[in-house]
Amino acid sequence: MSLQRAELPSALSEYAIETHGLTKKFGSFTAVDHIDLAVRRGEIYGFLGPNGAGKSTTIRMLCTLLKPSSGTAKVAEFDIETEANEVRKRIGLVSEKLIMYTRLTAEQNLMFFGKLYGIDNAELKAKVDELLDMVKLTPFKDRSVGGFSSGMRQRMNVIRALIHDPEVIFLDEPTTALDPQSTKFVRDTILDLKKGGHTIILTTHIMEEADELSDRISIVDHGKIMATGTVGGLKGEYGTESMLEVFLTVTGRELRDSASDRVSMKAVGRM
Amino acid sequence: MSGWKVTTEIAKRDLLDLWRAKMLLVFFIMMPLLFMTMFGFIYPPTVQVNPYSGQIPSPYPNLELAIIQQDNGQVARNVEAQFIQIAESQGIFRVNEITDYATAKNGIVKGELSGIVVIPQGFSAAIQSDAQATIQVTVDQTNPTVAAAVQSEVAEIFGAIENQISTQYLQQNVDPKVDPTFVLQPISITNIPLIQGVPTSFEYLAPSFMALTVITGALNGVSTAISREKEQGTMDGLLVAPIPRQSVILGKIVAQTTRGLIQGFLILGLSMLLFGVVIYGSPITMVLVMVLGVASFIGVGIIVTSLAPEQETAQMMTTLLQFPMMFLSGILFPIDQLPVPVQYIGKAFPLYYAADALRKVVILNASVNILMPDLLVLLAYSVVTMAIAVPIFNRAMSR
Repeated sequence: MSLQRAELPSALSEYAIETHGLTKKFGSFTAVDHIDLAVRRGEIYGFLGPNGAGKSTTIRMLCTLLKPSSGTAKVAEFDIETEANEVRKRIGLVSEKLIMYTRLTAEQNLMFFGKLYGIDNAELKAKVDELLDMVKLTPFKDRSVGGFSSGMRQRMNVIRALIHDPEVIFLDEPTTALDPQSTKFVRDTILDLKKGGHTIILTTHIMEEADELSDRISIVDHGKIMATGTVGGLKGEYGTESMLEVFLTVTGRELRDSASDRVSMKAVGRM
Repeated sequence: MSGWKVTTEIAKRDLLDLWRAKMLLVFFIMMPLLFMTMFGFIYPPTVQVNPYSGQIPSPYPNLELAIIQQDNGQVARNVEAQFIQIAESQGIFRVNEITDYATAKNGIVKGELSGIVVIPQGFSAAIQSDAQATIQVTVDQTNPTVAAAVQSEVAEIFGAIENQISTQYLQQNVDPKVDPTFVLQPISITNIPLIQGVPTSFEYLAPSFMALTVITGALNGVSTAISREKEQGTMDGLLVAPIPRQSVILGKIVAQTTRGLIQGFLILGLSMLLFGVVIYGSPITMVLVMVLGVASFIGVGIIVTSLAPEQETAQMMTTLLQFPMMFLSGILFPIDQLPVPVQYIGKAFPLYYAADALRKVVILNASVNILMPDLLVLLAYSVVTMAIAVPIFNRAMSR
């Protein structure tokens, strides 16, 4: 299957995502603190940070799942608060959680989610067949997703997010707990999506993955952006060849399992 | 995609989910079956009118009873024989002829007998000398309900025997032209039933259980379905799609209401098949009442799911609401049996109005006009609870 997106009008902004002072507070806890982002169309943007840094909260705001406390954000040229539905039409979310109904078959799941985007039945059926074929799950299309391995589930998760051909795809830790074969498959799919003209926001704790896939990277911690640049630029700036070293230099080496981190994760619905 | 189409798709998916969970489906069908069968044994439905009294006998048939004959007279022996004949032919008591009171009393203590009837010495002599004779009755006071039933049944049987004795006396001693029934019972009461046949507990219970199943099913179903989707992550898949937030909730409500209606009609069907309940009302009016019943309380389910951090808490919260509702809303017994202040609490639950309306439809074929007071209360509950619930849900979904 081709992951090539339809040609976009040339009058569109250079950026697929723009945020200005984007902030999210849960009571007195500030999860995201005045973040400014500018993600170019067609790039893979690595969004890295330790647990509780504010990555998921930022992504949930950009996906219109959380309302910002202050600041503005545009995704695919639409305001996430005032034009949320327009944003939703143009985004796809791949989370570490399986966004699939486990009792339903692979085909039933994809048909259901496709219908939510108002895709015509015949077109949707063809699209579902095409996507299942792309991730080599056609022989399993009539099986319950609950019986799938973690690799198969994540492949399903990816194609569910692609069913409506979104401009911007948010991949929140897409290769967590996958075997090497599935990890490679998902990473190759991400690169194919970029080639197809999609914009990708990737959060991951696997530095090698961020290094391999990202055009540019932002490292966030305590709700703030601590560093931004190309992979090569960041490595040069911090004088190392290892992305892990860059990350640890920016965010520190102490363990992140304090109570405040857990509170923040619970607040954003990750626990 | 229009809001209604999305609602339909979400409802269809939820029902497909149930269809594919075969074991859940089995329990979904078994639950009303078990419920009705269980209560069928508690409240025996096979009821015949006592031909001697015209009354419906106690729901405790064939209780073990001792009879002690202390009088050797012919009248006493006749009365004993008549008593045994009526009691056993009607399946009211199994009568054990015992010679002494102490043995019979031990029988009660051991739980083998539920009562003792003593025909004391002098019984025949009293009747033969036109004086009032006495019968002594002892019951098991540790079980007041059965004790009251035994006392009432014994009185009913002796009432029938008394009638025969009095009729004989009048025929022998009063002008034969005088109708003995006029002397014994100058005014006769005839009950004109609203419905054919004899009402059983099931005429009361079946509509009550239908209302209970539909309302609590939807309450539980909506709150746990939404909490489960929040926990599993599928809610993100719905909320990230360009669909109205209300369609998510409406889809769940439609699916759970459909499930509730299926169970409600299963209960009705079982009541007809197994317990002889006769249905007089229109199924369309029944559906209207049940849908309004669901609407009246579903808002509470939505509030619960919006406030509960996880599925388990949501389940605890709905259980906490269900129990007082089940016992105080006149589901298992009429609300009039409760003290007046408690009745007010029972009437604060919409289930009371839904069950009341459903009973009137199912058994008395009440029209929508007659049901209007109940329906208006349910409608008011629906509007108020939904007006509170929807903004809370929307806020909870995008804190």
